[in-house]
Amino acid sequence: MIDATERVDKVDSIIRACSVMIRMNKASPDGRESERVYYRILSDYFTRLRNAPDEGKFVAAHTAFFPAEVLYAMGLVPMHTEVTTWMISLFTGECADLLSAGTALGLASEICTPHRGLAGAFAAGSIPRPDVMLWSNLICDNTAKSGELLMDINGCPGFFLDHPFQQSEAERRYLVGELEGMIRFLEEQSGRKMDWDRLAEVVSVMDRQIELFRDICELRKAVPSPFQTQGFLELLTIDYLFPGQPEAITYLETLRRELADRVEKGQGAVPNERFRLMSFFVPPMYLIGFLEKMSQEHGAVSVTEPFFTYWGEGRLDPGRPLESVAQKSYMIPEVRMYGPLDDRAVRSIVDCAEQYRIDGAVYYADVGCRHTCATVKLFKDILNEIDVPVLTIDCDVVDPTITSEEEMREKLEQFFELLEDR
Amino acid sequence: MKALGIDVGSLTTKVVMLDGDGSPTVRITPSGDEPQSSAREALEAVLGQPELNLDHEFCVVSTGMGGKMLPFPHQNKAVTTCLARGVHHLFPSARTAIDIGAESCNVIRVSDRGRINDWVSHDKCAAGTGVFLQKMAKVMHMPLEAMANPSLPAASGPEISSTCAVFAESEVISHVHRDPPTPKEQIIAGIYASVVSRIMILCKRLGIERDVIVVGGVALNGGFVKILEREIGFEVLVPETPQMAAALGAAVIARETLAKGAGR
Repeated sequence: MIDATERVDKVDSIIRACSVMIRMNKASPDGRESERVYYRILSDYFTRLRNAPDEGKFVAAHTAFFPAEVLYAMGLVPMHTEVTTWMISLFTGECADLLSAGTALGLASEICTPHRGLAGAFAAGSIPRPDVMLWSNLICDNTAKSGELLMDINGCPGFFLDHPFQQSEAERRYLVGELEGMIRFLEEQSGRKMDWDRLAEVVSVMDRQIELFRDICELRKAVPSPFQTQGFLELLTIDYLFPGQPEAITYLETLRRELADRVEKGQGAVPNERFRLMSFFVPPMYLIGFLEKMSQEHGAVSVTEPFFTYWGEGRLDPGRPLESVAQKSYMIPEVRMYGPLDDRAVRSIVDCAEQYRIDGAVYYADVGCRHTCATVKLFKDILNEIDVPVLTIDCDVVDPTITSEEEMREKLEQFFELLEDR
Repeated sequence: MKALGIDVGSLTTKVVMLDGDGSPTVRITPSGDEPQSSAREALEAVLGQPELNLDHEFCVVSTGMGGKMLPFPHQNKAVTTCLARGVHHLFPSARTAIDIGAESCNVIRVSDRGRINDWVSHDKCAAGTGVFLQKMAKVMHMPLEAMANPSLPAASGPEISSTCAVFAESEVISHVHRDPPTPKEQIIAGIYASVVSRIMILCKRLGIERDVIVVGGVALNGGFVKILEREIGFEVLVPETPQMAAALGAAVIARETLAKGAGR
């Protein structure tokens, strides 16, 4: 169990920041109800994590795209490692000390900063130590390696979930076998048994959640688009932290209602929508407020993110819960970037460009993320073929030393001029 | 009615005035520590005014890294937008523009209307820019003008780092001081090849479409242009005053603004 005396400064910062955001939202005449729900459940997530040691709860830290549905069904407290680092960057405005702590462990500056910062955060005791570390190779090959390091730093046992690249029946069966192995591991470590009925409920809620994600994406096709540029980060966080959870449904239903209302009234997220954008990868967290301001100033709104919010086809079957958890990992938008890029990935970009009537695309090329950067030229060529200009911005999701606000402003303004001039 | 374009670069400030018949008057001055004063002086010189007075007869468009700091322009435009207009004004057949200034390098795809289709920049390191060549000339103990002589670079030279200006400087110093020293002509060829390789990466990312025009102060360097042409595989266009392309583009935009009746 977590040592209750350990420092959890950064998690406290996130919780405090959420309360501030809620107060600011309430004070604003335009504050979205869904945004209040978002910050409330985000605060609840990190409060559960902070209080877990005192309450004798078992904390399972897991990397991105890990099937946290299983953890919820077992009554464990999940800790999404990358989102925790993102939130630290977003809410504390910097995570330089964590990155330095990661560097002090011997991690090169070229290594993915969410992972370097995370290793630093664990080493510095800035975030709670988990009881187990869970990681996977799904989407990110870096994660496959860093999970082992995180396990070592925390001095806790761990489990690596091997996710196959391909999607044949045999590989799906293999993945289900891996999930069974992970459940056995967690049962041994936590002393808690898997509640299969609860997993079926979680899968049922997840299925509903995916439907709501799709509805929201449909609403974002409207001109003007009803959802603010950086709103998609809320959608990501909801999917990453609350898979199959009722609070996710509360948020998504509230948001869908608000967006439907705006669409009906013809209200856009920005006062004068001029540029509809497609976004690739994640913008720097420390510049989110600035980017939202730029969006408002220039009437530029992100309306689609093919690899983050555009879910694949299919439904989940609560009658086959573990198979459904495996199935979901093949439906997540990010999976199109996993393994060899196939026609689906290419097709989804073109589909989104057409359906969402985009004017341009912005690729936030995270310099520490090798496999996403490898796609920059490919995606740019695909979009250029259908006459969509693409802006590539070299940046980092959490490290402010890579790209300054001024550089970002200059590049975006140049791009908006390009779009305006066409 | 007069259209004025002003490009405040890191080393020089360029002012272009377009008269009614479209003929340009150009003034280039050092930017110095106070770009506002330099810009004001350059404008006064072009306009023949002892004290700057921009009445309703003028429209001023600024660009460049210091363009936003000026209080008097009617509007500010991105340097890439201005370059596209400027090179189109100079050579309507140009479809790719390579702009190498003191501290930046841009490669731009230009449409047949003088609009920017796409661009890619290199702005993370001095390698591949004008100040890099200035630094190298200093290390070589020769004036930059002498190093720019097109007949000087040898057919080939040593490999010089194209990824880091500091490493490149160390390499050049070691070539100058080794015994016997690497011939000057070969080192110069290596230096230019290093800059060109950096630019070619940008060109390949964007795709090269003919005609190619080279602008910015480095385009005045005949030796460099020679190595660039060798690498590209065909002759490039170089205007007479290549460093004023962005200011010219800004002046063209100012003229368009005046034509729309939206000037001062």
